Amino acid sequence: MTSRESHRIKDAEKKRVLDEAARQRRARKALEALEQDNFHDDPHADLVMSKKVPKFHDNLESGRTRKTKRKGAEYYRAKYRKNFIQLLEEDKAHRPDPPNYCSAQAPPSRLPQRHFCAVCGSCSNYTCTACGTRYCSVKCLGTHQDTRCLKWTA
Amino acid sequence: MNNICILDNGAYTAKVGLASQEAPQLIPNCIMKAKSERRRAFIGDQIKECRDASGLFYLLPFQRGYLLNWDTQKTVWDHIFSPDCCGINLSEKTLIITEPHFNFHSIQEALTEIFFEEYECDALFRTTAADLSALHHLKSNTVPADCCIIVDMGYSFTHIVPYVKGEKIKNAIRRIDVGGKVLTNHLKEIISYRHLNMMDESYVVNQIKEDVCFVSSDFQRDMKTQKLRYPENTIIQEYVLPDFTTVNRGYVKKPEGPAPEQQTIKLNNERFTVPELLFNPSDVGIQQMGVSEAIMNALDSCPPPVHHVLLENIVVTGGCALIPGMGERLQTELRALAPDDMEVKVIITEDPVAFPWQGGRVLCQSTDFSEMILTREEYEEEGVGASIEKFDP
Ligand SMILES: [Zn+2]
Ligand SMILES: [Zn+2]
Repeated sequence: MTSRESHRIKDAEKKRVLDEAARQRRARKALEALEQDNFHDDPHADLVMSKKVPKFHDNLESGRTRKTKRKGAEYYRAKYRKNFIQLLEEDKAHRPDPPNYCSAQAPPSRLPQRHFCAVCGSCSNYTCTACGTRYCSVKCLGTHQDTRCLKWTA
Repeated sequence: MNNICILDNGAYTAKVGLASQEAPQLIPNCIMKAKSERRRAFIGDQIKECRDASGLFYLLPFQRGYLLNWDTQKTVWDHIFSPDCCGINLSEKTLIITEPHFNFHSIQEALTEIFFEEYECDALFRTTAADLSALHHLKSNTVPADCCIIVDMGYSFTHIVPYVKGEKIKNAIRRIDVGGKVLTNHLKEIISYRHLNMMDESYVVNQIKEDVCFVSSDFQRDMKTQKLRYPENTIIQEYVLPDFTTVNRGYVKKPEGPAPEQQTIKLNNERFTVPELLFNPSDVGIQQMGVSEAIMNALDSCPPPVHHVLLENIVVTGGCALIPGMGERLQTELRALAPDDMEVKVIITEDPVAFPWQGGRVLCQSTDFSEMILTREEYEEEGVGASIEKFDP
C-alpha cells in the first residue's frame, strides 16, 4: 500500500463515528477482559493432565474399608457442570427474596464518575468525538488516533 | 486438634493445614501450563519447579468467585493433600472449609459429596472466610467487642460483612466486583498499551502489582506529582522484568544503579491508579460503590445502636489488604463519611491472608464445635441435602 493510499484510509476513518451501541459494546468488552483468566490460548491444549496427577489414592490408603469406589474428577465435572449463569438462574428460583447474590451487590456510587486519559492515565477533560474515549492533551489525542481510536473492532 | 483440617479455599490461594499447626501453608489454587514445558503441567505449588514462567496459562477452579471447574479443583486438592505437598490424609478427619457468601446450592452439594465420598472425611464444617475472621477478631482477648465489620478483599471480589453480637447481618452484606484479579488485569492492560505487550503475562504482571502498587493517601496530590520530572516525580519507578535466565523475578531498579541487561519498563501513575479501583470501581466503568462508601452503605442496614461499635471494629483481610497504604486510606475516607461523634478504627491484622485460617483454629476450640459439624452418620442418613439444612437453614 502506498503512503498516499494509507492516508486516504486514515482520513476516511477519521470521519467515521462510533454510534452509541458500538460504544457500549466496546465498554462491555473492556469489562469482560477484566474478568478473564487468560488472554491467550492454552499452549498445550492437548496435554493429558491426568497422567501427571500424583497417585494420591495409592499413597494414602487408609484403614477404612471403602464402601464406594471413588469416582474421580471426571465424574464431578459431568455431574456438576453448570456454568455461572445457570447457577444464578437456579438461585433466583431457589432464593428469590433478598438477601442473595444479586441483592448483595453494592449499589452505584453517589459520587460523580472520574475520567482519565486512556493514553497516559492523567485526569482527562476531553472526549474523542469519534469514539468517546477520554484524553488529556493534543499529544495524547494524537497517540490515541494513531493506535486505538477506530482500530479496535468494536 | 490434629484430626481437624482447615482449608480456606481461596479462588487464587488455598490456605491449608491441621488445626494443630501454627500457620497454614499457602498453595496456589490452580494448574499452570508453561510455554517452555511441553511435557507437564504445574499443579499448585509445583510452579516453583518451573524455570521459565513467561506466558503461563492458568486453569482456575473458580469463575466469578464461585467453584465451577470441578476437575481442576479435584486435581489441585489431590495434589495439596498428597505427600508431595501438605501430606494431610483427610480420611477420618474433620474438615473446616470456606466458601463464598451466597454460595450456590449445587456447589454446596458437590463439596459435601466430594469430601465424604472421595476424601472420606469424618465430618464437615462449611463456613465463609469472613465468619472465621469475625470469630477470630471477636474472640481475641484484646478486643472486648461483640460487633465488627469484616472487609474481605480477595481475588474475585470484595465483601463487606457486618456482625452484630456475633451474628452475621445477612442483608447488610455488600459485594464489590473488584479484587486482585481485576487489579492485575487492569495493570496488564495499561502496561500492554503504554509500554510493551504483556497481555499473556498474568503471572509476571501480578508480581509487578505486588512490587510497585500502593494505595494513594491523597489522590489529587499524587496525580500532580506523577506529571513532574524525576526527581521531583517521586512516584515514577523503573522495573526490571525477569528474563528467566539470570533474573527469575522482576524487581524495582535502584534509581542510581547501573542499567541492567534485562528489559525495563517505567511505571508511573499506574502504581496507584490500579489499586484505586477498590475505592472507585467506576474508574473502569464498574457501576458500584467503592469500598469506603459501601461500608457506610452496609452500616445503614445494621441496627443504629451498634453503629459506633461496628465503626471501631473494621477488620480488613485478604490479599488486597497487603497493598501498602490500604489501612490509612480507608481510615481517612471512613473518618470523613462517619458521623462526627463516632470513632473509626480500621484494623489490618499482621497477616491478613492467613487471618481467616487462624479463625478456624479459634472455631475448633469452641465448646459446641462438635454439635456444629455435619457428621458422616448424618450425611449417610440424609445425603447431600443434609449439609444445606445444617449450614444454611
Ligand atoms: Zn494523556
Ligand atoms: Zn477515538
